[in-house]
Amino acid sequence: MTASNNNKNSCVTDSNKVSFTFDGKKYFGFDGDTIASALLRNNIKIIGRSFKYHRPRGIYTCGIEEPNALVQVLSESNEPNTRATVKKIYSGINVLSQNRWPSLKNDFGYVNNLLSPLFSAGFYYKTFMGPKGFWKNIYEPLIRRTAGLGKPPKEFRSKSIHNHHNVDIVIVGAGLAGLLAASKFIDSEYDVILLEQDNMLGGSLNSSQKIKTIENLETREWLKKIENLIKKSKNIKIFKNTLATSYNQTNHIIALEDNSVGKPLASHKPELILHKIRTKHTILSNGHIERLISFRNNDLPGVMLAGSFEKYIFRYGVIPETEPIIFTNNSSTFSLLKSLIDLGCKPKAYIDVRDESLIDKKTKNILETNKIPFYFSSEVEGCDGSQMLETISIRNKEMQIKKIKGSMLCISGGINPDVHLFTQSKGLIKWDEKYLTFRPETAFQNTITIGSANGNFNFNKIIEEINEKLSLFKLKELKIDLESDCPEDLNIVELWETISEKKSFWSKSFIDIQNDVTTKDLRQAVTEGFDRIEHLKRFTTNSMGTDQGKISSINSLGIVSKILKKNISEVGTTIYRPPYAPLSFSAIAGRSTYEFYDPTRKTSIHSWHVKNRAIFEDVGQWKRPWYFKKNNKENMYEAVQRESKELRNAAGILDGSTLGKIEIKGKDALEFVNLIYTNAFTKMKPMTARYALMLGEDGMIKDDGIVCKINDQHFIVTTTTGGAAKVLSDMEEYAQTEWPHLNVYLNSITEQFSTFNISGPKSRAIMRKVFSNIDFSNEKFPFMSFKKVNYLDTQVRILRASFTGELGYEVYISPKYGLELWEKFFRYGENLGLIPYGTETMHLLRAEKGYIVVGQDTDGTVTPLDLNLNWMIGKNKKDFIGKRSLSRSDTSRKGRKQLVGILAVDKSKIIEEGQHVVEKSSIPAKIKFPIKYLGHITSSYHSPTLNYYVAMAMIEGGNELIGKKFYVTQNKSLENINVEIVKPIFLDPENKRLLS
Amino acid sequence: MLVINCPYCGERDQSEFSNGGEAHVARPENPETLNDKKWSEYVFIRLNPKGIFKERWVHTHGCRKWFNAVRNTSTDEILKTYKINEKPPSVAEFDTTIKTPSGEPDLGSGNFTVKK
Ligand SMILES: [Zn+2]
Repeated sequence: MTASNNNKNSCVTDSNKVSFTFDGKKYFGFDGDTIASALLRNNIKIIGRSFKYHRPRGIYTCGIEEPNALVQVLSESNEPNTRATVKKIYSGINVLSQNRWPSLKNDFGYVNNLLSPLFSAGFYYKTFMGPKGFWKNIYEPLIRRTAGLGKPPKEFRSKSIHNHHNVDIVIVGAGLAGLLAASKFIDSEYDVILLEQDNMLGGSLNSSQKIKTIENLETREWLKKIENLIKKSKNIKIFKNTLATSYNQTNHIIALEDNSVGKPLASHKPELILHKIRTKHTILSNGHIERLISFRNNDLPGVMLAGSFEKYIFRYGVIPETEPIIFTNNSSTFSLLKSLIDLGCKPKAYIDVRDESLIDKKTKNILETNKIPFYFSSEVEGCDGSQMLETISIRNKEMQIKKIKGSMLCISGGINPDVHLFTQSKGLIKWDEKYLTFRPETAFQNTITIGSANGNFNFNKIIEEINEKLSLFKLKELKIDLESDCPEDLNIVELWETISEKKSFWSKSFIDIQNDVTTKDLRQAVTEGFDRIEHLKRFTTNSMGTDQGKISSINSLGIVSKILKKNISEVGTTIYRPPYAPLSFSAIAGRSTYEFYDPTRKTSIHSWHVKNRAIFEDVGQWKRPWYFKKNNKENMYEAVQRESKELRNAAGILDGSTLGKIEIKGKDALEFVNLIYTNAFTKMKPMTARYALMLGEDGMIKDDGIVCKINDQHFIVTTTTGGAAKVLSDMEEYAQTEWPHLNVYLNSITEQFSTFNISGPKSRAIMRKVFSNIDFSNEKFPFMSFKKVNYLDTQVRILRASFTGELGYEVYISPKYGLELWEKFFRYGENLGLIPYGTETMHLLRAEKGYIVVGQDTDGTVTPLDLNLNWMIGKNKKDFIGKRSLSRSDTSRKGRKQLVGILAVDKSKIIEEGQHVVEKSSIPAKIKFPIKYLGHITSSYHSPTLNYYVAMAMIEGGNELIGKKFYVTQNKSLENINVEIVKPIFLDPENKRLLS
Repeated sequence: MLVINCPYCGERDQSEFSNGGEAHVARPENPETLNDKKWSEYVFIRLNPKGIFKERWVHTHGCRKWFNAVRNTSTDEILKTYKINEKPPSVAEFDTTIKTPSGEPDLGSGNFTVKK
């Protein structure tokens, strides 16, 4: 009762031995083996533990549909959930079984099997509900340790590239049907891509002996011939090891090519190639998938799908067991039976649920000639065995139970056309009463289904089918002879589940083997009211594993339809969604990882900032100095206090290059700017600037900035750093869609200028030194005016403006000269006390003056009126974006939240940003009634100049509350801070410093 | 991923475009003359039908031009694209196109893949 090699007629030969490691032990397999075929060759049948109950599990299938045999590949960055039935071995591959602790044989979690009543349908939703705190502290860690699949890799590394193709035809699957279709396209005018998931062409031709000869050649000879012909044809590209995973809109197909099959990963080559293919027509010849039958303990290691067993024999040259038992409800098992006899193996028993009259003569003939014990009108009631299959209970025609010994059971519950891709493409499927399966009915896109993917299981009809279905192309007729000795009809009878005799916690009849869902769970879910298939799926987690129930989802529809006493087509299927099979995130990411996904933008001064101990803040993709450490000991609070104080005493310089800048030109530039911003620009003199607000049509503040008017046909506006792209898009949208009659041109010039903000009482003196030929006097260079100045061989724009409340200037220069000028400022300014400052100091200084930051003090629900910025609204303008909304009943009502200043009565108190403003002096320990809340703190900073906290808040009816006392909540105390509502300006209300 | 025919550049991948919602909702010429209800309808109310829909797109990572498209929101098929100054096509033009995929009803959920 052991495995044996098929040296006679398989695709894998024993010429090249390969050593590999499984669970720390070394084994040998052959070159071309999958992990699964190599393990079977070594008589290893247990390969993992199940998801919920930790039951021992073996190899169930021989391909992509595998529910059980998932392993962790240690030698490949610890890649988890690798299908052992797909992954090919190579010398040195190191594989670990999953979901067991401490070892595969002695698994601690097996206790879950005894607790199984806890884990029935909907157990996640029901069992782990309370008491409070249990989820976080007890349930979740427990579930994480014992449930689930493999462990994620420790490091993420990009290992894929993306390729794009535009072709006429994609053929998915190079089995018999796919190859015959491809052969019609040889030397035709069509561009064709042929996708095959295996590393050899042939599909079922390699995995069975169902077809003896094609064109009078032995099938493997014919395969060689046809592959050569296709390869020679210049219009057809073959991709092997390539799995079509998604079939999207507009005939867009995603296919993943594994570039390192059967060899270790090469560090210098992409391991995966994601092909994105646009095609005019798709031919789906992606075959079929066998399904299981549910019976008691149908998950025991040793139970395997019959077609997979046969595939191991011919595709991989390993006979997993020389005396298996066969259990079927259809005629597809004939070829397995015959192949075993041909190889000198004799099945121990043959169990067929069908009546003798439905069983084909050929099968009966083999059984009788070879004296194989057979049981017709019988079924497998269940299996038993500790760890592995040992005995099988047969319920015969007379309903008597007979037990036989055996270590492998090959089952076939029928064959499903693989309609996954077809339904992804939005094709319509239909239940076929003859084959008891869903078949493609109507394509939605240009999709053609052929072969078993179309539900055609008769080899003798395949040539006719392909000629007919491809008749819309200008191609030659296929005239090929096939010889097959398979029964022509499947003669399948309905059998989803057999009735269990034994009732115990150990006895389970599984429907979804990967997710440990039993047929009992389905019944329970329906009883609890989850009778819609989409609900039932989520509630039971049926077919929600990594295999998506490929071998069992149709069975679950069968069982549910019986419970509901409905037809299967009434029950319907759940929606098939991409991907067809799991693919690594790395494959999707391609080269878009780390800095290639999210680039870093640096200003021209960046290197200077780094040298001068700047700590950076990410603003969008930009790196902005947040604050500068004077020395390594200084912390952020100290640095910001120092920078703020020194700036107000002398001068500071900020790198403002990241601010968005947009140039607006054209005959109608003035009218355009008038429509975009709230302010009035018509009377504004050339070479002056204005602080401006931009609203949405709903009247809410979207962005702010400074509008510089060079003349009526030429403006330069600044935006917030984060808003730059959006503001330009919005302007473009209005220019094109609403006001196409206006002659305006818009251009983003953010990166064309380095921008410095010099501010502080000494800034005029410093500017005079750096630009010695300019008159910076108040008369010649008043607040909010700007000049164009020659500097070296370039030009500099200097604007007198300030965001700190101090005398200040903004300098715009080409980035090429940015660093040179910046350093010049320090050469001339250092002995006058010039310091560099970062964004945090900027925020502190503007808060002292009550200037808002869009996105901090506003949140998309704030109008200019809410901020008392009425002076910025051009009331005499006929229209601007959002104007009409400012008089809507909601925006003009009383009691809206308004911006106010907040000062603690006891000035030593710390007011935190984000805290609530309330009426009571403390918060009760147990809150029984909602607490009245007036608003929240939007900005709060310790002012080094005033030596107390200054804060701003948005408060209901705030303007009427000036002078009143309220309370502000605290993070770590139930006691609130007594505060006074004040006007939101704390320093220099007369603007003496600003205008000095 | 759709293929969208930019009226200025030709067929490009959907990833180059951004959707701008319902088309042919003109900004009122004299907002001040509208009452609150009428103005709110312009600002807030947009159609979201199942079936034929005229909507705006912009070729963001291309020519940056706005244009209009007729899309069947049920099949996601883009039936026509046209420049913003062009006359919108009549819905009758698309009478012969497929209304819904997979035998879905004209109204309601898209969870239908099985022919009954
Ligand atoms: Zn374009």
